[in-house]
Amino acid sequence: MQTITVAIADTNAGRRKKLEQLLGGRPGIKVLGSVMNGSNMAAGSEPAAVHAIPIEDAVIKVNRLSPRILFIHLDPSGSESLTLIEALNRECPDTFIVVLTDESVQEERILQALANGARGYMSHEADSSYFLKAVRVVDDGEIWVPRRMLGLIMDKVCADISLWGRGSLDLAS
Amino acid sequence: MILLASSSQDDLYRWERGIYGLAPVSFSTDLAMLCDQLTKIKPDILLLDNDLPGLDGSEGIALLMRLSLETKFIILSHVVTDEIEWELFRIGVRGFCKIDVESGLLRAVVEAVRKGELWIRRSLSWRLLNELVTMTREQNQIRRTVSELLSNLTRREYEIATLVGNGESNKQIARRLSITERTVKAHLTEVFRKLEVADRLKLALIVKGSVSPRPTSQTEH
Repeated sequence: MQTITVAIADTNAGRRKKLEQLLGGRPGIKVLGSVMNGSNMAAGSEPAAVHAIPIEDAVIKVNRLSPRILFIHLDPSGSESLTLIEALNRECPDTFIVVLTDESVQEERILQALANGARGYMSHEADSSYFLKAVRVVDDGEIWVPRRMLGLIMDKVCADISLWGRGSLDLAS
Repeated sequence: MILLASSSQDDLYRWERGIYGLAPVSFSTDLAMLCDQLTKIKPDILLLDNDLPGLDGSEGIALLMRLSLETKFIILSHVVTDEIEWELFRIGVRGFCKIDVESGLLRAVVEAVRKGELWIRRSLSWRLLNELVTMTREQNQIRRTVSELLSNLTRREYEIATLVGNGESNKQIARRLSITERTVKAHLTEVFRKLEVADRLKLALIVKGSVSPRPTSQTEH
């Protein structure tokens, strides 16, 4: 089995440590360095600034680390994490993004994160077996999105098509 | 109401057993009957045999979908390939499975689709997400182009363009801004010139951000 490289972008050191510990040392998974700094923040406290480093720097850092999977903490509001996801999806196409959420994040916002290029999402609190499974599934080129959210994606795609007056889902070509 | 459509009595019997008790059930055994029932009953869910005689693949199914927009389509097929399945999701079906699906599983499919979930294989679901990503990228591109163009307008021109976008007539705009209709027209001529559009409908669509002032192929590079 080839090793899957993983990096974490979360300004909250506590949450980052937890995930690093969860994934570190698992067979077939290697946790690379962190993309965000922010160790000055106490574990559990919410960061005041959304990201500790500018988006351009984050892109450079991810390009240098070149992880296969990048976990990004999705803030419940503000445009920063969405812009970051969009930029990374464009600039680092070989890195697949999975966003981490908690109950404060609304469904519509998760949908936006996916629309901007995230390949999956899961709760910070998810069981470790889910994290391991998600890493492998996303590494395989599939997505980690539950059926319910897939239904919402379909609704959105179909609504946009009728709004835009297109006859079918035939967009990309 | 759940509508079951197949020319095979065996299929209908098995499907009915699978979904027993979920909702009242109705049957169609041919295409004409199916069209008729879709239009009249407008069922919540349709279980449809992909090989129903006369049904012309995904195009035929797309036509059926227009007969009852609120019906969620679940297609059951003898042949299962990524291409066939994806083609159906592209036209908006909500679920797909093998024609001889085990009845307990069929029940789970119907229940999931009824809740708004999508019954699609994981090996295909990335394609759906891809559609959303591509669409979002195009829209963002258009939005960027529009805001660039709108930034060339003077404040007054922008104000008038926005009012046109809200569907107001020149007369209404003149009254609202306490200027003459002739002045409104003069501003609009300038707006049309700057945005390279010929009429107020196109202008309205641009201001609303729903169309690109130029073909997307030109703006993307």
